[in-house]
Amino acid sequence: MKRKYAVAAIATAAALVLAGCSSTGDAADDGSAEGQDITLWLMGGDTPDALRDYLKSEYADATGGTLTIEEQGWGDAVAKLTTALPDAANTPDVTEIGNTWSPTFTNAGAFTDLSDMYEELGGDKLLKSFVEVGEVDGAQYALPYYFGSRYNFYRKDVWAAAGKEVPTTLAEFGDTVKALRTDSQSGFYLGGSDWRNGISWIFANGGELAVKDGDEWVGALSSDESVEGLEQFQELFTGASNAPVTEFDSTPWVNINDNDATGKPEAATIIAPGWAHWSIGDLAPDPADATKTVATWNDDVFGTFVLPGVDGGVAPVFAGGSNIAVSAASENQAGAKELVKIIFSEEYQTMLGENGLGPANLDYASSLGDDQFAKALIESAAGSKLTPAAPGWAAVEGAGILEEFFGKVSGGGDVAELAAEYDEKLDKLLN
Amino acid sequence: MTDTISRDVTAAAPAATTKSARTPDVTRRRISVPHLLLIPAIAILLIGMGYPLVWQIVTSMQEFGIQQQFGKPADFVGLQNYLTLATDPTMWQVVGRSLLFCFITAALTLIVGILLAVLMTAVGRTARLTLQISLLLAWAMPVVAAMTVWIWLFDDRRGVVNYLLDMIPGVDMNRFSWLSNPLTFFIVASVIVIWMSVPFVAFSAYAGLTQVSDEVLEAAQLDGANGAKRLRYIILPMIRPVIMIVLLLQLIWDLRVFTQITMLQDAGSKAGEFDLLGTYIYKLGAGSQDFGMASAVSIFVLALTLAISWFYVRSLLKEDEQP
Repeated sequence: MKRKYAVAAIATAAALVLAGCSSTGDAADDGSAEGQDITLWLMGGDTPDALRDYLKSEYADATGGTLTIEEQGWGDAVAKLTTALPDAANTPDVTEIGNTWSPTFTNAGAFTDLSDMYEELGGDKLLKSFVEVGEVDGAQYALPYYFGSRYNFYRKDVWAAAGKEVPTTLAEFGDTVKALRTDSQSGFYLGGSDWRNGISWIFANGGELAVKDGDEWVGALSSDESVEGLEQFQELFTGASNAPVTEFDSTPWVNINDNDATGKPEAATIIAPGWAHWSIGDLAPDPADATKTVATWNDDVFGTFVLPGVDGGVAPVFAGGSNIAVSAASENQAGAKELVKIIFSEEYQTMLGENGLGPANLDYASSLGDDQFAKALIESAAGSKLTPAAPGWAAVEGAGILEEFFGKVSGGGDVAELAAEYDEKLDKLLN
Repeated sequence: MTDTISRDVTAAAPAATTKSARTPDVTRRRISVPHLLLIPAIAILLIGMGYPLVWQIVTSMQEFGIQQQFGKPADFVGLQNYLTLATDPTMWQVVGRSLLFCFITAALTLIVGILLAVLMTAVGRTARLTLQISLLLAWAMPVVAAMTVWIWLFDDRRGVVNYLLDMIPGVDMNRFSWLSNPLTFFIVASVIVIWMSVPFVAFSAYAGLTQVSDEVLEAAQLDGANGAKRLRYIILPMIRPVIMIVLLLQLIWDLRVFTQITMLQDAGSKAGEFDLLGTYIYKLGAGSQDFGMASAVSIFVLALTLAISWFYVRSLLKEDEQP
């Protein structure tokens, strides 16, 4: 009798062990997208709901499968992608990634080679700089999803009351917004750690974040040009912005709209990605949902202009946007590629443009329209720049090094010293 | 009476197992059923805790980055990761900050918790029940939900805390940014962590207090001991075992605190001077994809935890040996 119990106990233990180790079913990829249920990761809320619904219904029509869209916050996305992408059981089948992270994940082998579809999806018509960050040895892994770029929004009423005109050089811009600052209103609202906007001043002065020296990437924050730009940024932040030095991922449009408590704006000027214009304007309660407000653009109160360059013209701003890629570990390659085809279809590309997101295929750029937002977007995008295509760039962003660096600069630290210190930190991660 | 309490507490502590291990082994020819019945438990422990630990130790001796995460073989580098850590001033700053945070927070939690427990014994039934239910609710609140509310409370624009402080004449707290400065950041973090852990301490201490016999207290009272003296010389020594284990648990929890800090960083700043060990490891590993170094720091934290616990385990053993 005793023996029997022992055997039963061993059997139970063995069963538990086996249950723990049993592999997840390896669904064979038979090359057909028919009925494959796939997951798409989108970053943040940039893709409007109408576009998401379109993808779901088109995918269902094309394959009979279900497309599940999961939204990931930009902040934790690098960490989530790093852990989910290698794992067949948890990977999204298709994922949007920040354009600047493409080199890291592409070099690590996270994505499926899409070269055979490249021509069909648009080929040379796709935004070149975004295609390049997703390429390894001439093969395309991550393709452009949409591009955006940053320009200024300003309060015409506040500017007019102070007798200010739209500036034509970067120095003039700095002087103007500094003059507009009061204790309760930023002349130019900019988070102290907001490096994605802050780097415009480095770029405008001819500086770089990192440069390729032979085969190695090295930090370039301490070059003369970069230091010059950073000093201008420091002066601008201290003189014109009331934002905390630690603010990094701000939603500046809440500051340029009238504050519901005071009826006044807290910022005379902001810089934001083009799609922010949907959130700027006169606020009224949302008829569909009383807890929310909707903003209606008012041309008498709000205006736009691109950030001027050092000697006039347009300053190079950070080229925002995303790439899209198929996870190499996905068991639904056929379904995933089907979804990619839908994304690069004329209809979807046009929908992107109509919603203020620069379409990946430049043939459809006209869908952006010809209003002031489209003009400002196209004008600022023309001079825009990407972050360095170094393999370790995602690590730099994931570790929050640039937020920390810009925070210290705007906190009033010695720019040259800080730049040298953070160049060293960049060197360790870039390659 | 104290004896039972101390034995109860010991049973809960991991140290208890060491005692049974000391009893001389009786060699038997046939493996008995009780031994076999231990197998599932041990197997689950080995798989659930042993495997990650071994993986962690192995990884901490490798150069393991994003390439390795996607399948490239990892280079064995021996103790190189540990050497890099030992010579990295940032690491020691984080360790110092974490220890300071953990000791201050755990001590304050304990003081507030014990005072609440004493209060519970002193007040009437209704007040005690109200207190207990409030504490229970605070304890049961999901961390993320509680953090969201706390972050709103300390919001620099619309936070209630700034609003109320600003109403005090002569105090200008309008737009005071609590989370931009490491000192005020960790004060806020500490307040939140204390709020979340006080209920556990209060209930444990209260359970201990109910075991203090009335006769002893009455005798002390007759001898002329006032309330403070009774607490200091009679009650606290009697519930010391409970307090010790609760303190140890608090120290370990506060050393490993992660969710609260990372959520405050999302609301404030992700800069290095706002890091404790938990967020430091997360940034190294998940953030900058240096899993080798992240594992090395994790193993270091494990060693640190063992070092903190060691004194406690020893004192427990000593207490047990006393007749």
